[in-house]
Amino acid sequence: MAKLSRRAFLTLTGAGALGAGLQSLDAKPRLLRALTPEEQVAAQEREDTWRVTICQQCQAGCGILVRVVDGRAVKIDGNPLHPISSGKICPKAQAGLQVLYDPDRIKGPMRRVGARGEGRWEQVSWEQAIDEVVGKLGELRSEGQSHSVVFLAGRVLGQMQGLLKRFCDAYGTPNYVTHNSLSASATEIAHWLTQGQRQFYGYDWENTSYLLSFGVSVVEAWRPTVRNAAAYGFMRRGRPGDRFRMVQVEPRFSITAIKADEWVPIRPGTDAALALGIAYVLITEQLYDDDFLSEHAFGFEDWTDDDGTLHMGFRTLVLRDYPPNQVEAITGVPAETIVRLAREFASSAPAVAVGDRGISMWSNGVYNQMAVDALNALVGSIDTPGGVLTDRAAPFFPWPQLAPDTVAEEGRAQARADFAGTRQYPLADEVYQQLPKSIIDDVPYPVNALFLYYTNPLFSTPQVRDVYQAFEKLPFIVSFSPFLDDSSSYADLILPDHTYLERLHDVSPPPGLGYPVVGLGQPVVAPLYDTMHTGDVLLQIAHRLGETVSQSFPWASFAEVVQYRVGGLWRSETGDITTTEYEFFWEEFSRRGVWVDASYRFGDWDRVMATPSGRFEFYSQTLRDELTRLSDGELDGLLNELRIEVRGDEVYLPHYEPAGQMGDDQEFPFFLNTYKLMAHAEGRGANLPHLQEMLGLHVHRQWESWLEINPGVARYLGIAEGDWVWVESPIGERLKVRAALYPGARPDVLCIPFELGHRAYGRWAKDRGVNPNWLIANQTTPLTGSWEPFATRVKIYKA
Amino acid sequence: MEVNEHEAILRPLEHTGRKFYVLIAFLLAVIGWGIFAYFRQLRLGLGVTGMNRPVFWGVYITNFVFFIGLSHAGTLVSAILRILGAEWRRPFTRLAEAVTVFSLPFGAGSILIDLGRIDRIGQVLLHARFESPILWDVTAVSTYLISSVIFFYLALIPDVALLRDRYAHAPGWRRRLYEVLAVGWTGTAAQNRRLEGIMGWFAIYLSLLVVTVHTVVSWIFGMTIVPGWHTAIIGPYFLVGAIFSGVAAVGVVAAVLRRVLGLQRYITPRHFNYLGQFLAALAIAWFYFTFAEVLTTVYGSEPAHLAVFFAKFREEFSWAFFAMFFFCFLLPLPILAWKRTRTIFGVTLAGLSINLGMWLERYTVIVPSLSRPRLPYEWGTYSPTWIEWSITAACFAGFFLLYTLFAKLFPVVSIWELHEEAPEPSGVREPAGAEAPSP
Amino acid sequence: MARWAMVIDLDKCIGCQSCTAACRAENNVPFAGPEQSELGRAAFWNEVLFEIRGEYPHVEARIIPRPCFHCENPPCVKVCPVGATYQREDGLVLQRYERCIGCRYCTVACPYGVRYFQWFEAEWPEGMDRYQNPDVPLRPKGIVDKCTFCVHRLDEGLPIPACNQACPTGARYFGDLDDPTSEVSELARGPRAMQLLEHLGTDPHCFYLEEGA
Repeated sequence: MAKLSRRAFLTLTGAGALGAGLQSLDAKPRLLRALTPEEQVAAQEREDTWRVTICQQCQAGCGILVRVVDGRAVKIDGNPLHPISSGKICPKAQAGLQVLYDPDRIKGPMRRVGARGEGRWEQVSWEQAIDEVVGKLGELRSEGQSHSVVFLAGRVLGQMQGLLKRFCDAYGTPNYVTHNSLSASATEIAHWLTQGQRQFYGYDWENTSYLLSFGVSVVEAWRPTVRNAAAYGFMRRGRPGDRFRMVQVEPRFSITAIKADEWVPIRPGTDAALALGIAYVLITEQLYDDDFLSEHAFGFEDWTDDDGTLHMGFRTLVLRDYPPNQVEAITGVPAETIVRLAREFASSAPAVAVGDRGISMWSNGVYNQMAVDALNALVGSIDTPGGVLTDRAAPFFPWPQLAPDTVAEEGRAQARADFAGTRQYPLADEVYQQLPKSIIDDVPYPVNALFLYYTNPLFSTPQVRDVYQAFEKLPFIVSFSPFLDDSSSYADLILPDHTYLERLHDVSPPPGLGYPVVGLGQPVVAPLYDTMHTGDVLLQIAHRLGETVSQSFPWASFAEVVQYRVGGLWRSETGDITTTEYEFFWEEFSRRGVWVDASYRFGDWDRVMATPSGRFEFYSQTLRDELTRLSDGELDGLLNELRIEVRGDEVYLPHYEPAGQMGDDQEFPFFLNTYKLMAHAEGRGANLPHLQEMLGLHVHRQWESWLEINPGVARYLGIAEGDWVWVESPIGERLKVRAALYPGARPDVLCIPFELGHRAYGRWAKDRGVNPNWLIANQTTPLTGSWEPFATRVKIYKA
Repeated sequence: MEVNEHEAILRPLEHTGRKFYVLIAFLLAVIGWGIFAYFRQLRLGLGVTGMNRPVFWGVYITNFVFFIGLSHAGTLVSAILRILGAEWRRPFTRLAEAVTVFSLPFGAGSILIDLGRIDRIGQVLLHARFESPILWDVTAVSTYLISSVIFFYLALIPDVALLRDRYAHAPGWRRRLYEVLAVGWTGTAAQNRRLEGIMGWFAIYLSLLVVTVHTVVSWIFGMTIVPGWHTAIIGPYFLVGAIFSGVAAVGVVAAVLRRVLGLQRYITPRHFNYLGQFLAALAIAWFYFTFAEVLTTVYGSEPAHLAVFFAKFREEFSWAFFAMFFFCFLLPLPILAWKRTRTIFGVTLAGLSINLGMWLERYTVIVPSLSRPRLPYEWGTYSPTWIEWSITAACFAGFFLLYTLFAKLFPVVSIWELHEEAPEPSGVREPAGAEAPSP
Repeated sequence: MARWAMVIDLDKCIGCQSCTAACRAENNVPFAGPEQSELGRAAFWNEVLFEIRGEYPHVEARIIPRPCFHCENPPCVKVCPVGATYQREDGLVLQRYERCIGCRYCTVACPYGVRYFQWFEAEWPEGMDRYQNPDVPLRPKGIVDKCTFCVHRLDEGLPIPACNQACPTGARYFGDLDDPTSEVSELARGPRAMQLLEHLGTDPHCFYLEEGA
């Protein structure tokens, strides 16, 4: 069948209409335009090709192919060569077309006119915009105030991470702050404490037989999303005879729980107890992997240190405190279930236990995560087929040595504005949500300039009202956002980045496969507007700042940076692209869109266990060393400050202590859970109509927020489906949201999804839905600097 | 009998009061507003209505079925009662046929209004597919419309001739109108015989046709497998319902015309008594069908059908369901069953009630079934917008306008048929208006 | 002559709605927007259906992606007055957009609710018409449209509808039912295979594989 040309279509629609007078319905349709002769000719030789790039809707960095017709991107599909996507994609990727063609995108650099937030802007040239930034930064530098500049970076991908950090180092500010402390930093920290790996793990799903998931949205929103989805399909039906078993331990009946073979509705924040209850059974029934423990574990048994002091081991603690019936009282999970799960876990090798943000971002979270990780050690599924894999970094060419000047060195030596790594937040690399407080209180010093890259603090930070207050104080705010979102609309200067389909940008997926993958995002269409890659902007700023700052960046463009760093992949002679010359490597890399080194060598214990003992540490010596160092001999005082309840050896072992909550449970009877959906796009998807229109599959809601509530509880409170309800939290904030009665909701847990509730960000996002962050207290776990998104209790009443 | 005796019938043709113009103006205003609403719909799309997914049909299709149902009035009164020899029908025949002729266009019109692409209506002729019940419907309704118009016209001829003669000296267009329409009728015995003969056969033909019309309309629903529609009983059910609403409408129209046009001499309480009894019987018949439907559904308890039933019985459509029952049965039957209340007022009240109830009945047949499709994931509901109500009002106003104009130009009571009441034993007919020859 | 059919493995489907998004992008299905969505008029040629049953904590849910089933005995084709809806020899049930009069009889007759109506002229806000797929005709207002099994791809020799291509778990299969060696025909005859509302005799060309062992 020949393609239906537009002309033919018009002819067909015109025919057969006897109602002559009414032909006007077809005569001037806005969408169907007859091709002019020139266009007809052009249509014959129309460009219609697929271009390779990387999706950047989340950090998974799936390889995608984009069909481009006459310079327009019309369809997105997966790149079969990319191991994360393997030719498949998720709905967020499809909506990438709407990211590119969003009618409310910023079309060029803009400077604020009038008061902040008034919404009046004037177009400026890039020259002017960069001049202004350079001027401001230079001024601060010369005044010795370079440290008062803060770079807030959210979804930073590829070489932008290194480049931004390098800029901060060369310029002279310690304040490169990423958003990990809002995300899942406590998980990474827990992995560091037990295995010395400050990162997320990969998993050899293709061989796993049993998955015990503690609050992980495995098939919905667990990076790398598409990889996990594909793995799920394979695990279910790809191995005849082995349908694998998945148990979902989670307070709500998520899609993952629906797909799991069993749902365990645990009391929020008590996952350590459950994991340790399972450990109890594994220990008492001798179901653990003896060999693994004797060869690769430390601190399972009691041990004596060099001073001769006896220290409690994991076994002793578990047997003392976590018999199943006690665990039942804490978690609400029946003792028989605990016993059964333990036996299943041990007898279904390879079995893996996973946990992530859902269990780790609590005041007791790092211990929740350590307890879950301990289960893998107990059954020996670390660094084995079907088990936990430790990612290798891609062998990028190292950054050139930095030679900072005195200003830079002094600047960098100043305290961080977010107090990360100090006694206040000992293990943290960043504490994003500390910044509003620091800014408001001018501690440790007033912040003079804030740069926003791929982050939206007026949306993503808890206790949002305070962030607005902080923004009022800031003298200079610059955003690189291509969209007029909540934060960029409060900026003084906007230097809009390209959207990802318009730019060159490498993306290394987060660990998931266990081996390095580097994707190359490439422009598939020419930039639509007068935007510029933030990497290029940064380089221009650096060069204009001159002297050592400029010298630290011997590249003319971001593309050069990428090429420089990727040179290391070529030089390492590993992976699936090996050529004699680098330019051939780069050609092939561009053609495929990805470089993969798909090899995993099991048993590389030196690499895998990067702990003081070279083993999996049930008893975290890293934690002990850090706390000892910071405590300055006064450990008890420090532990009090860190709000850690236990004392002695238990501090360094996975254990359960109750999670700190804000609000007493009489006045505020509910937990508030915020969660992410597959169609969620990390909070950046509210301006994408396709995603908005299919957001709430399980509650049949679109284009609005909802409050998931147990139907029995709703009935008791006189709340019917769709009723407006006020949700109020102890910080004195309340939001109005419509109730969605959901049988899969625990009676004591209310859920509002994250994603909506923007005050700006385009016509489809603005003033639509509610942002639960307004309700949630800016409460941080001191030990890890992690935000506690689930610690704020709430009450509700009909509107 | 002298023509002068029928002054009452002819007075409206000769005297036009202010009230007439006020009425016309009002009806035109309503129609105008409806046309405005329709053009808005035409311009923007059917999205301006309350229809949605899954309720793809709503008020317009309800109107379609309702108006077609109304149209059964005429055929029943003039054709069927003629065949049955029910003499009391005589004053009603024309006004009932007029209900038929003037309601059918709005029935068919409602379908056209409901179309997404009315500009493509020609496709129905170009590519007609007779496997589709819509084509059965198009065939049946157009046949019925044409046949009814012919029958109506035939029955009009002798009276038009009377008017032609009476107004031979009246100015302009009216005289020409009557002349043309009279087609040279002179009232001879031969002509009378031929007319009687044709009308006799037509009556039989129409009586059979009317059975098909509403049955076929019902089969638009009945031939699908939509729960609540796919019942064997739907044909007879709709047919009885149509006759029910049609006869009720005749009662109302007759009572109104009787009062407004002063026809007390011709349309008497005795007529309404018979009409009322007939209506009572129809009410019981209607109830029988409804009860059988409900009982079968509920007893069988098939989930898809029960879901539809509950939508009507206790969910968002229960108001329509219970109102229907009240207006179709609970209110009218007592009025009609007792002679004491079976007065003109009683029958009129019952008639209005029944028509309201029957409109609701159409609504509760169509909408709840659509709102509860077989796959439970896709349930929805329906709320008509002002566009749909405006167009509905315009349809009713259009009907009344046509009727009013008709009543202004032609006698609503068939004068010549009144004279037929007692035929001469000799079989020789006296022409209307002529002196009776001495025997 | 091929007989095209789709098989969807419900054990693998995770309700991600990638199929829904891909279909919309491929077939130029416009988004309805918030007000129209509220009225239930959002068009999803492929739609993921969700149903939850039970009471906490004994709940279970079904997630069923639903394209048009291109039935062997399509109730919609029967009732179309103008033959705008028709069945091709290879089993596809398609729509002649230029002939449809928008009576919506087919929409009402379909027991699966797979058909959608253009309530208004489709809106493509400033510049968003740039991502329209040139291979698929745009539909004017007032007519019915639905999933075509990506007939434009099929007829160009690419027998993979967009939904199937996007599915990350590999839950969807497509192929020739009459080819005994095809994956689709094997799966469709397998023990887990079933059709929705089988008892209606529509014989959909879309088979679901039940969850579980």
